[in-house]
Amino acid sequence: MNQKPKKGSAYGWLFQRITGIFLAFFLILHFQVLHFTKEWKIDFDVVTHRLDSTAWVIFYLIFVPAGLFHAFNGAWQVIGDYRPKLGIQKTVKALLWVLGIAISAYGYYLIVTFTKGA
Amino acid sequence: MYESKSGFFKKYVDEVGLNPNVGTWAWFLHRLTGVILVLYLFMHLFVLSSSLAGGETFNKWLSTVQNPVFHFLEIGLAAVVAFHLLNGLRITITDFFFVTKSHKTIFWIAMIIFLILLIITLIVFLPRVFSHH
Repeated sequence: MNQKPKKGSAYGWLFQRITGIFLAFFLILHFQVLHFTKEWKIDFDVVTHRLDSTAWVIFYLIFVPAGLFHAFNGAWQVIGDYRPKLGIQKTVKALLWVLGIAISAYGYYLIVTFTKGA
Repeated sequence: MYESKSGFFKKYVDEVGLNPNVGTWAWFLHRLTGVILVLYLFMHLFVLSSSLAGGETFNKWLSTVQNPVFHFLEIGLAAVVAFHLLNGLRITITDFFFVTKSHKTIFWIAMIIFLILLIITLIVFLPRVFSHH
């Protein structure tokens, strides 16, 4: 309990809030477009048609890493509640970063698939 | 957080028992909805992955997740997202605008908005649960 807080340790806190604000707007738009419209049936053509628009591609390119950062940084905070040993902390943190970047890259690959269409 | 040797979930329940206030409940529910959303994200990614096998495979998967059962579950998903989103904004507002003293009031305002969103969601989604297509 007498440990001095490390410098830079508030970045996780700050970026969780920044990505959170982004995601609040993104998710409202995401739900609005996909679920709260009259044409609410979704199929491959609907998705590829939406991704013909550069604005939507940019939207998803930001949405994917912002969501993954928020998800994994949140998971990191939950793990922190259980006060794991320092070695485990470092391993889990590294693992979350690798996983987050890898899934982001995979998400980008999926976006490209949709922009190519059928 | 309260130091106990109790299990993964019980630790959280104990925390609420030690300080049974609105803020602790909000914290507990924010954690719970957050974990649900991370797990959902993987499911979402799994369904989207089917697009790699082509449009037809993707459509097969999409028709599976657009049946009445999944439309019913979507109401739960919308509720989980709405709670996490609104409580998250409450946390951000209390942090950034130094209004921690009003955090309970802001929580109840968020919950009123939550109820309104839930009613709108039910009006929009319930007919889909019972529609045959």
